[in-house]
Amino acid sequence: MSLLRISDLRVSYPGPSGPVEVLHGLDLDVEAGARVALVGESGSGKSVAARAILRLDTDAALAGSIRLSGTELTGLPAKRLRAVRGSGAGLVFQDPLAALNPVRTIGWQIMQPLVIRGVRRSEARRRGIELLGRLGVRDAGHRFDDYPHEFSGGMRQRAVIAIAVIAEPKLLIADEPTTALDVRVQAQVLELLSGLADERHMAVLLITHDLGIVASFAESVVVLRHGRVVERGLTDDIYYRPAHPYTRGLLGAVPRIDADPSVRLATVPPGTAAADAGPGDDPGQPEMPGEKQNETESP
Amino acid sequence: MTGPGATSLTARLLGRPAPLTARAGSRRRSPVIERVAVAVVLFVVLIAIIGPWLAPQDPYLVNLPDSLQPPSMAHWFGTDVNGRDILSRVLTGARTTLSATFIVLAVTTAIGILIGTAAALAGRVADEILMRVCDVGLALPPIVLALGLAAALGPSLTSAVIAMIATWWPGYARLVRTVVTETRDAEFVEGARMLGVGRARLIFRHILPNSLNIMYVQVTLDVAAVMLVISGLSFVGVGAQVPSAEWGAMIAAAANNVQNGWWALLFPGLAIALTAVAFNIAGDWLRVRTDPTLRGR
Repeated sequence: MSLLRISDLRVSYPGPSGPVEVLHGLDLDVEAGARVALVGESGSGKSVAARAILRLDTDAALAGSIRLSGTELTGLPAKRLRAVRGSGAGLVFQDPLAALNPVRTIGWQIMQPLVIRGVRRSEARRRGIELLGRLGVRDAGHRFDDYPHEFSGGMRQRAVIAIAVIAEPKLLIADEPTTALDVRVQAQVLELLSGLADERHMAVLLITHDLGIVASFAESVVVLRHGRVVERGLTDDIYYRPAHPYTRGLLGAVPRIDADPSVRLATVPPGTAAADAGPGDDPGQPEMPGEKQNETESP
Repeated sequence: MTGPGATSLTARLLGRPAPLTARAGSRRRSPVIERVAVAVVLFVVLIAIIGPWLAPQDPYLVNLPDSLQPPSMAHWFGTDVNGRDILSRVLTGARTTLSATFIVLAVTTAIGILIGTAAALAGRVADEILMRVCDVGLALPPIVLALGLAAALGPSLTSAVIAMIATWWPGYARLVRTVVTETRDAEFVEGARMLGVGRARLIFRHILPNSLNIMYVQVTLDVAAVMLVISGLSFVGVGAQVPSAEWGAMIAAAANNVQNGWWALLFPGLAIALTAVAFNIAGDWLRVRTDPTLRGR
């Protein structure tokens, strides 16, 4: 049985004239210990999906099913949801500084998931320092009592990862975990995530727009556009044999160091019928049921 | 050109520790002005506690032959129109003025935090209701309300304090609501929720500590304002009553005779001004001290 099984997930937010559906039926399976990437451009609905899994947005209306380790999360009462959060699934945010409480020490925040689950402080501290050290923060014992602003960007993201994984979740949802970091630190952080996931047999759902980091990290890829899955498959297949024109467009838009500099970088042109599979006219997705035909896009 | 601002800026730039030594920097000496301000605040509070015992003479003893004596060895601050020793009255009045001010600020801060937090976190309906109540409170000028209360309860310092509380808290409630609303949606609060942190812990450990910093500044700035309004209420006759030694009431009484005795106005005025300025500076220093991201600067 899959660790995470999402079927026909639809998410809508309240708009000025009734609810607006932004995710139109997502199906996604993550096996225990697997690494799956959810890829798409800004506004594709990938973050909405991530936030929906842990029911982060209280004003979002969910339809469909999200099962984590067999527990149905949609409609789960808040009290039971709290038990799932942190220990069932952890979340790593995009901006590590914003994700840290500025008036609490790094250590306090790393210990928190354990402390609220009744682990003794001394024990929580020991495990926190060990984890922070494991994540490559030098002199973790001393830096443990530092405040977030005293950490560098890369160290903050390590702290955020430590907070997310200290309660040993089976699933880690990483929402653009490296976007706010420079390229060299990106690689380090991904490597750490990778190692940690292997050690703990923890599944990772990586949410990103950056195809460059997906190739080295994820085993399978789901490509999302305008709230719909346009393509899914093993990473290698997606990279070498992209089936959907949008995926081809995305891959073509990645800058390459060995490309001819006189050739313009490819873009995904808006409005071309083949590449722009907007809501309502999605030629590549015949399996989408119940499509509305009211949103036509001019070529 | 080097003004005092430029000097302190240079000092800050030179004196700011490198990030790695920021923790050592937090133990750096605080600047002189802030230290003096804190010392003055402590001194004024001390006077408020022991002032009545320090007073060399009975602050209420009327001695008409000594009316409006200028400052001398016998009366360091001179005497007022009734021949009462002004030094003794300033020392005794510290307690009246400061305790009235502190009661008003303590109660309004508590109400403001409670109502503001509730409005920000308890949903849209509660927010609407509480904020409309605030509007009503803000619409009433303290003096009008105090006059009404004075008619009902009899004019006294207590009426003035109650009137001040009734009109002062809505400002705090609005302020707290604004900052809590902002903090509520911060990513680290979402993050904490995602870790399974419960509602109470979320509010008291994450949201409020990141919201109430601004209250230190606001409340210490308001020490001066509240002191002045209470004095104003005494001035129009609905606050501290005639013989009592309250700084504002003393100024009000002395204002009629300023051409014959400037000292009767000057010394309680200085006491108010000094206390107000000291609280402002100390409040700003407190804000910096309690914000970890500003520590060590």
